[in-house]
Amino acid sequence: MKIITMDTTKCVGCRNCELACAYMNSNTSCERTYSKIRVNHYIDEQTLIPLTCLHCEEAWCLNVCPAAAISRDENTGAVIIDSDKCAGCKMCILACPYGNIQFDEKDLVSTKCNLCEGNPRCVGHCVGAALNYEDVESFNERARKKVDRKIMDAIKHQCKSMEVENDK
Amino acid sequence: MIKYKEGEKVRLVIIGNSAAGLSAAKTIRKYDQKSEITIISKEEGLAYSRVLLPYVLREKVDYNNIFIKDKAYYEENAITYIEDEVVALDTLEKLITVNKGQAIRYDKLLIATGSHAVTPPIEGLNGSGIYHMWTKNDLDDLLPLFNQKKSVAIIGSGFVSLQAAWAAKCRGLEVSIIEIADRVMPNVLDKKGSEVMANHIVDSGLSLYTSMITEKVERQEDSSFKLHLKNRQPLVVDFVIVGAGVKSNISFIQNSNIVYDRAILVNEKMETNIKDVYAAGDVAAGPTVFGDKHMTHALWPTAVEMGEIAGANMIGKQRRYQGSLNMNVTQMYGVTVASMGIFDDEQIDGSYEFPMDQYKGYIKLCYKNSLIVGACIIGESESVKLLGKLRPIIKKGLRIDCDPEKIESYIDIQAFQNRY
Repeated sequence: MKIITMDTTKCVGCRNCELACAYMNSNTSCERTYSKIRVNHYIDEQTLIPLTCLHCEEAWCLNVCPAAAISRDENTGAVIIDSDKCAGCKMCILACPYGNIQFDEKDLVSTKCNLCEGNPRCVGHCVGAALNYEDVESFNERARKKVDRKIMDAIKHQCKSMEVENDK
Repeated sequence: MIKYKEGEKVRLVIIGNSAAGLSAAKTIRKYDQKSEITIISKEEGLAYSRVLLPYVLREKVDYNNIFIKDKAYYEENAITYIEDEVVALDTLEKLITVNKGQAIRYDKLLIATGSHAVTPPIEGLNGSGIYHMWTKNDLDDLLPLFNQKKSVAIIGSGFVSLQAAWAAKCRGLEVSIIEIADRVMPNVLDKKGSEVMANHIVDSGLSLYTSMITEKVERQEDSSFKLHLKNRQPLVVDFVIVGAGVKSNISFIQNSNIVYDRAILVNEKMETNIKDVYAAGDVAAGPTVFGDKHMTHALWPTAVEMGEIAGANMIGKQRRYQGSLNMNVTQMYGVTVASMGIFDDEQIDGSYEFPMDQYKGYIKLCYKNSLIVGACIIGESESVKLLGKLRPIIKKGLRIDCDPEKIESYIDIQAFQNRY
């Protein structure tokens, strides 16, 4: 299954993804309120995090929805909300550990990323290549390599400092 | 996993056709296509969601949307559905006696019979014109009244009662809420939260009486009701909705050896004291994340979780429940109300209230032994996300090393670092 992955080291905080998502969902506006992806700017921590639904394998929102309004799209594997069934009880918002479900204050229903039926607009408009639409496995592979590299660097660094110690 | 002999099918029987029972059936079928699943329910018609009933009363949700499973679901998942009432249980013979049909044999049994609304012992508080707001039948009774009648008294101010009251108000009825305790929603909000909520209720044009004892309910000739209140003028209303809590549906196990208190006691595998008998949902008292051994929440999410654990264990998967964490959320009286965990002022030893403008509303974090154990919200939808992010932290009892006002960004960054 493919999901939208995020590389915070590449995000420049331009919020193009938000605009693209908002327009895709509203058809009329690029206003942030319509967007299902959010780039959070943590100024003090000097961190940018673009966040959207991870379409969890064990989606707690899906299991807990008392209206049976949340299901998994057969084609894309996306966790989707049927707005005709949604009662607007907000249980899913309370269930999501990442804060990735929004509430539509106009229609009084929950909304979220649906992977644009397999063509996520946010990814297409990301200028920093921070967002990618890729297979979960290849992403995990990449993430693992990244961790491996970090460990390798740390070991190398340690070895170097030991050499310095020995030279003394 | 269950080991099958040639041609043998294990009979898994679930009593109850709602959150816990259906969640168990779903979990069983996820791993096991072979076992026979039978669901027995005494409620007529398709499985429905109790959570949605007040939304139908309010006309926010269409009546047909309350049904969460259609007939085809049972066929597609090879689930036999029996509409009947279980009257007795023989755990030695593994036999279920039902009201109308033949006795049903089981190899493993899940009791997920839910709960029923209780009526406080007030003189005259019974018969037609007095309603609850707990089942589909209650909804069917109330819907026409909401169209015809002009005034209603709600006795009790719990989560469901206040939703019913709000629905009545939205439909143009004159609404009076009578609460015996000194504050509204004592099981959902802390003291200050109750005050904030009470203001929203009164501002929305409802009459609210707290610390109010109803002494007698008198049926009048014109079929209206006169409520005699202690130290106050009587109140005359067209009908009454009673929301005084719920009790587990356990009458049929009275003569079995299953151990129960107010609900059936289960361990972290949803097992009762009797082998091959499990219980889940409102009918069961199981472990909480705070270390309580037996607690009943009568909440939809808890029932779903317990059902999942029970279902997995019924087919031999060794699944242990982390424990339940109570959570409530809805939008009413123009605000979003939500709470989670422990927030009772008596049970916590510290708290933090966010400045009103940070999340645009009343939001309080509750601490015990410097760990976050609960939270309350009366504000906007956006702040519910904070509660969602706090859930895993409360569940795992994680320590948070940051100023409380920055907790959300702290969690976001942590979650991201753990993932990437």
